[in-house]
Amino acid sequence: MSDRDVTEKIVAALADYLKRDPASIQLDHHLRDDLGLDSMAVIELLYKIEEVFDLQIPDQDLIALSTVGTVAQYVEQRLVPVKRPARPSAKGKKTT
Amino acid sequence: MPSQIVVTGLGIISPIGIGVSEFWKAALDGRSGVSTIAGFDPFPMDGYRSKVAGQIHGFAPERYLDSVQAERVDRYAQFALVATKEALADSGLQLAKENPRRIGVIVGAGMGGMVMGEREITQLYQSQRPHRVHPNFIPVITLNSASGIVAMAHGAKGPNYTISTACSSSAHALGQAMQCIREGRADVVITVGADASITPLVFAGFCSLRALSTRYNDQPERASRPFDRLRDGFVMGEGAGALVLESASHAKKRKARIYAEVAGYAATSEAYHMVIPREDGEEIASTMRLAMADAGIAASQIDYINAHATSTSIGDAVEAKAIRQVFRSRADSIAVSATKSLVGHTLGAAGAIGGIASVLAIHTGQIHPTANYEDPDPACALRGIKAAVQERKVKAALLNAFGFGSNNAAVVIKRYAA
Repeated sequence: MSDRDVTEKIVAALADYLKRDPASIQLDHHLRDDLGLDSMAVIELLYKIEEVFDLQIPDQDLIALSTVGTVAQYVEQRLVPVKRPARPSAKGKKTT
Repeated sequence: MPSQIVVTGLGIISPIGIGVSEFWKAALDGRSGVSTIAGFDPFPMDGYRSKVAGQIHGFAPERYLDSVQAERVDRYAQFALVATKEALADSGLQLAKENPRRIGVIVGAGMGGMVMGEREITQLYQSQRPHRVHPNFIPVITLNSASGIVAMAHGAKGPNYTISTACSSSAHALGQAMQCIREGRADVVITVGADASITPLVFAGFCSLRALSTRYNDQPERASRPFDRLRDGFVMGEGAGALVLESASHAKKRKARIYAEVAGYAATSEAYHMVIPREDGEEIASTMRLAMADAGIAASQIDYINAHATSTSIGDAVEAKAIRQVFRSRADSIAVSATKSLVGHTLGAAGAIGGIASVLAIHTGQIHPTANYEDPDPACALRGIKAAVQERKVKAALLNAFGFGSNNAAVVIKRYAA
């Protein structure tokens, strides 16, 4: 998955959550100050992102995720190791 | 109408002790009852972000209750029965001599019968055999099962109900019990807070809410650390607390030992957010003021606060801010302690357990330490929070409790003077 795909998916998830046009969401938008997400809404958004990208985001990483761009960058970084060929088949993978 | 309502009996089952004397000794030692969760049989803890809780290990209901009673109810209601039994014995009430219609039971429970609830739901979905749902499922998960079984166990035929306002449930139960006697509807009210929902689904739910501590999974006793800079969420706990309340005249007539007076109560809503408190702390401040007004005492008379203090980043800071708003220049001279630092957050039981700690502070002149208060967070620094026991003649205490659903409660408990 390219970085651009990741960003697009995150923007799409946000647009879906906020019920607004994806084109109106910018990378430098602050989740709380610009998009109006309270801390519960951020948690709900990350829950959705975890599902889309098959990730688990630890609590301690939340504090750095303040803008659309930082979320996209974080997910891109997290996806790097699983791109390796040694990755077990996604089919039987548990999302515990 | 009785003007004074007093506490004459206490009972508790908690992660740091079963019984008041064991609990209070451990509390004064500042001992944490938080430990590693061994696993949710049959699956392990790997998938859970948090892996620690304040559990009551080795609880054998048959040691305290007759088997029919114990088997008919879920773990939280078993806890309620155990705590009530102790509180009634402690009060010296001879129920056979009382008018049963003048004895009420008011229970606070946040989650209720989740042990059986989760098991039955899982089995039904897996087996798709509806006729195999346990016949006792509905009575057990109905949220007033504890107030029902406590009344049945002791023949209490007065007002009987359950209050469920999440984490403030039993602070409201305590306040409502006081009001019930004040209004002349009962002479005695057994008030209980109980919860036991460290169960696979509920625990996962709190993990998903990112409300639980995850930083100290390897050092469970350090995980619940209200007001400390490194706090990172609450720790689930389980247990029950019971307090016997009665009108002062009723208590005096039978020459009962009086621990303290429950003097005032306030219930409010922030009407703001399901899980987040208003950051300015004004609603909490207003709740504390209303409780003091109900008790007819001034802010200058409060010398101890049993804080709600769950060990979440925002919650503790907002509460400290509210304390500062109400008590201004005196805020640093009031003793403050967080019972959740010892037992974790027992949800619906928390108000009753905090209430017992407040009553014991008044009765013994000792305030239990706030465990793990190592590095005071400037966002909620109050000089009255100590990691050690505080010796103080407490004349009036405030018990704070706040719950999901934008819900606040405050109760004033004071030294009894005839």
